[in-house]
Amino acid sequence: MIENKIAKKVLNTLLRNGSDFSEIFIQKSISSSLRLEDSKIENSSSGYELGCGLRLWIGDSTFYAYVDSLEEEKLLNAAKVLSSAVEGSSCLKVLDLTRTGSSYHTEVEKSPAQVNQDIRKNILESVDKNSRDFSSAIIQVTSSLSDIQQEIYTANSYGASSYQQEVKTFLAVSVVARKGKNVRTGYKSLARTCGYEIFDFKKPQDLAVEASGIAVGMLDAVNAPAGELPVVIGPAFGGVIFHEACGHGLEADAILKSASVFKGKLGKKIASDIVTAVDDSTIKYRWGSYKFDGEGCPSSKTVLIKDGILKSYIYDLKTSRKLKAKQTGNGRRQSFRDVPLPRMSNTYIAGGNQDSKSIIRSVKKGIYAKEFAGGQVDPATGDFVFGISEGYLIENGKIGFPIKDATLIGNGPDVLKKIEAVGNDLDFAPGFCGKSGQSISNEVGQPTIKVSKITVGGTSN
Amino acid sequence: MAQICKDAAFRINKREVDEFEIFTASSVENEIEIFKRKVETLSFSDSIGMGIRIFKDRSVGYAYTTVLDEKIIEDCIDRAISNSRVTKKEEFNYLPRKEEFKFKKKSTDDSKLFKEDLLDYDTRSKVALAKKLERLTKSKDKRITSISSVVYNDSIHETALLNSAGFFGKYKTTACVVYAAAISRQNGGTSTGDYFGCGRAPDDLDLEDVAVNAARRSVSILGGRKIKTQRVDLLLDPVVSSQFMSIIAGSLTADSVQKGKSLFKDKIGKRIFSMNINIFDDGTLAEGLSSRPFDGEGVTKGKTCVFEDGYLKTYLYNTYTARKDKTLSTGNAGRASYRSTPGVGISNFYVSPSKTGYDKLLSSIDRGFYIMDIMGLHSGVNPVSGQMSVGAKGIWIEKGSLKYPVKEVTIATDLLSFCRSIKKVGKDLKFIPWGGYIGSPSLLVKDITVSGR
Repeated sequence: MIENKIAKKVLNTLLRNGSDFSEIFIQKSISSSLRLEDSKIENSSSGYELGCGLRLWIGDSTFYAYVDSLEEEKLLNAAKVLSSAVEGSSCLKVLDLTRTGSSYHTEVEKSPAQVNQDIRKNILESVDKNSRDFSSAIIQVTSSLSDIQQEIYTANSYGASSYQQEVKTFLAVSVVARKGKNVRTGYKSLARTCGYEIFDFKKPQDLAVEASGIAVGMLDAVNAPAGELPVVIGPAFGGVIFHEACGHGLEADAILKSASVFKGKLGKKIASDIVTAVDDSTIKYRWGSYKFDGEGCPSSKTVLIKDGILKSYIYDLKTSRKLKAKQTGNGRRQSFRDVPLPRMSNTYIAGGNQDSKSIIRSVKKGIYAKEFAGGQVDPATGDFVFGISEGYLIENGKIGFPIKDATLIGNGPDVLKKIEAVGNDLDFAPGFCGKSGQSISNEVGQPTIKVSKITVGGTSN
Repeated sequence: MAQICKDAAFRINKREVDEFEIFTASSVENEIEIFKRKVETLSFSDSIGMGIRIFKDRSVGYAYTTVLDEKIIEDCIDRAISNSRVTKKEEFNYLPRKEEFKFKKKSTDDSKLFKEDLLDYDTRSKVALAKKLERLTKSKDKRITSISSVVYNDSIHETALLNSAGFFGKYKTTACVVYAAAISRQNGGTSTGDYFGCGRAPDDLDLEDVAVNAARRSVSILGGRKIKTQRVDLLLDPVVSSQFMSIIAGSLTADSVQKGKSLFKDKIGKRIFSMNINIFDDGTLAEGLSSRPFDGEGVTKGKTCVFEDGYLKTYLYNTYTARKDKTLSTGNAGRASYRSTPGVGISNFYVSPSKTGYDKLLSSIDRGFYIMDIMGLHSGVNPVSGQMSVGAKGIWIEKGSLKYPVKEVTIATDLLSFCRSIKKVGKDLKFIPWGGYIGSPSLLVKDITVSGR
C-alpha cells in the first residue's frame, strides 16, 4: 500500500525528536450497507475510505494523528507536526522492515465485490417475508446487511510490518410483535469474518425465524420475580455478562489505571474451580478473529482463567511492555482514526461436562436467562445491570413461563465465584463492543451456566 | 469547501439523475487524556469527507468518500446511482422545497456557534488545563484514590450543503468538552463518579464545577448498602433526568412514530406529563452544541415546543416524514457525518426549568431515593413498549434529608406511567453533550417501586 522507503522515512521523521516508538497504520476500505424496514429497502449506501494513522510514544505518553491520504508529502508533514510536539532522549532509527507472519489463513469464497445489489436486496426481502410469515403478530421487521472489504498495513520502529486483506459480513434482524396491548421485540444477528459464504453457516431465513420466535414467545410473558435467586444463563449470548463484567476488567489498560478489581490477582483464585475462560482471535471466520491486530501483531489464543485461577490479562503492545508481560495480540482499533487499545476478540467461558438439562433440573425456583438486551457495567467495580430480553421462570427443575421486564443486577467478580455448574454446550454470538468511543467486532460465548444467586429486578414479589 | 461542492455538482450534472445533494464536512479535532499528571494520549486530526445523495425516479441512493480525487468522486457518483436502483420508489423522495419549511426565517446567530478564542489556545495550554482538572478533582476528597480518566476534547467543524433545488449553505462550529472520572475507596468499598463540562472554547469551561461534582458523585455513594423492595418517591439528579429525556427524545422523532416504534404513537394532544412540564427542541440556542442554521438537508432550524403544560404537541420532522404526515419539516433532519443519509434527530432537547431549588425538592420528600447514577438505561428501556428496568445508585432520603448510600437497586416500571409520576421540576437545568445536546433539571417522581434484596 506504501513503499518501504516511504514508510521508513515517515517512521524516522516521527522518531526524530527522541520518541521511543513510532508506527504507521494504513487502512483502505470499501463498504456497503442495505437496510430494510416496513417491507421496503429504505437505504442503500456505499463508502470508500482511505487513511493513515501515525503514532509515537514518549515515556508513557502517546501522540496520535491521522490523515485522509497516502500522499508522501502529507504523511511527512503530519509526522513532522507530531514529532515536534515531543522532546525525548531516545535516538532510534529504522533501518529495515521485515514482514510479520501469522498462522491465521482463510480464503474468501464469495467476495462482496462479486455480489450485486439485487442479491443483497433478495437476502433482506427473504428475511422480511420469513419473519412476517412466522406469525401474524409480527408487526414490524427491520433488517440490515453490511459488508466491508479492507486492506490494512502497519509498520513500526521495531522494524516490523504487516499486511492483511479482510472481508467481513453482517446481517441483523429485529422484529416487533404485538398481541393486544403487549408489544415485544426480538433480535438476532449473524456475523463472520468472511464473504457471502457466511450464508453457508446459516440461512437468512433461519435467522428471521429465531428473532421472530423470541418476540412472539415473549408476548405471553408474566411479571418477573424480584429478589436474589439462582440464575441459569443460557449458552452463546449469555457470555455477554462475562465479557462486560469481567472481560473489560482483564484488559491491561484498566489494570494499569488501577481501575479493575482484577489488579494484583494474577495467579490467584478469582472464580470457582469449574471456570476456565479464554480469549481467542484465531478461530477461523469468527466475527472477532483476525490475521493481525491493529498493531500488526499476529492473532493468538490466550487462557485468561484456568480452573478458577487468573492466568493472564489482555494486552496490547504498550501495556505488555509496561507490565513486562507477553503480548497477546489484542491491540485493536476501530479505524485509522483511532488509537489501539487492549480489547477482547472472541472471549468465552470454556465448556464443562454437565448436560444443560440436568443444570436446569437442579434449580427449584429460579430464572433461566437466555438473551439479553445489552447492559451496562462499571469496569472499576464489575457492578453490572443486564436487561433480559428472553427469559423464563424455572420451577421445580422445569422451564416455565416467559418473564418480562427483568434485569440482572450484580457484580462480575462475585458472580464468577458463584458459578455452580458449567454445561457442555459452548456456543458463540457476535456483537459490537464499545470502549473509549471505538466500536469493534467481538464474539462472546459460553455454555449453559448456573449461578447460585443474582439479584433479579422485576415487578412482582 | 464551496468549490469542492460545485465541482462535484458539475460532474453529477452530466449524469442521468433527477436531483442530487452534496454534503461536505471537515473537522479538526484535538483530544488530550491525562493520567497521573502526564499526557497519556494526545491526538489530532484534520479530515474531510463528502456524501452524495442521488434521486432518480423517486428512488434514493447514497455513497460517500474520504478521498476527493476526481476519479474517486466519479466512482462515488456511480455507486450512489447504482444504490438508487435497489431502494423502494416512493412519492415523497425528492429534495425539500422552501414552502415545506416550518421555520421560514432564520433565527440562529451563526456567530455564536463559532468562538475564535479556541484558536488562541495551543496544545501546551490545553494540556495544562487538563492537568489542572485532574489535580483539582483529586484534591476534593481524601477518599479519592485515583482519577481514572481526564479528557479534554475540542473540535472545529465546517459543513457545506449544496443541492440541485438551489440550496447552498455553510457554517462553522466550535466545541470544547472536558470529562473527569474519580475512583474512591474506603473500608474495602470502591466507587466511581464522573462529571463533565462543555462550551465553545476553553474559557467557557468551569473546571471547579467539574471537579467538585465528579468527586461528589464518587464519594457520596461509597459503601452503598442494599435496600428492601418498596415504593418510594424518587429525586433524579439532572444527569440522570437528562438520560431519561434522551429515551423520550428518541421516541419523538417522526420516523420512529411512523414505523410504529414509538410509545408516543397516536398520542398527539394527549396529556403525558403533569401540567407544569414543558419540553423543547431548540436548534437555535446560542450555547447549544447542537445548534445550526440549517439541518442535514438544508431546512432552517427553529424552536419547537414538543410538550406544552404536559400535553404532547408535535413530533419532530425531516422533509420525508413531514410529507408523509402532511405537515412541515421542523428542521430535524439529523446527520451524524458525511457517512450517513439524513434521518430524523433531535437538536438541543430540554425540559424547561422551574424556580424551585434542589433543596426544596429534597425537603418535600418524607421517604425516598435520590438517584445519582443509573445503569443499563439504553438496554433496559424498550422504547417501543415503554417497559423499563434500570439499575440505580444513590442516597436514601428520610424526612427531607440525605441519609446513607444505596446500591444495586433496580427500578422496573413503564415509561408512560413514569412520565405521569413526574410531579415537580427543579431549576438546576444541566445539559449532557453526548448523543445530542439534552438537558433537564432535577425531577421529583412520586411513588415508584424500587427493588433491592
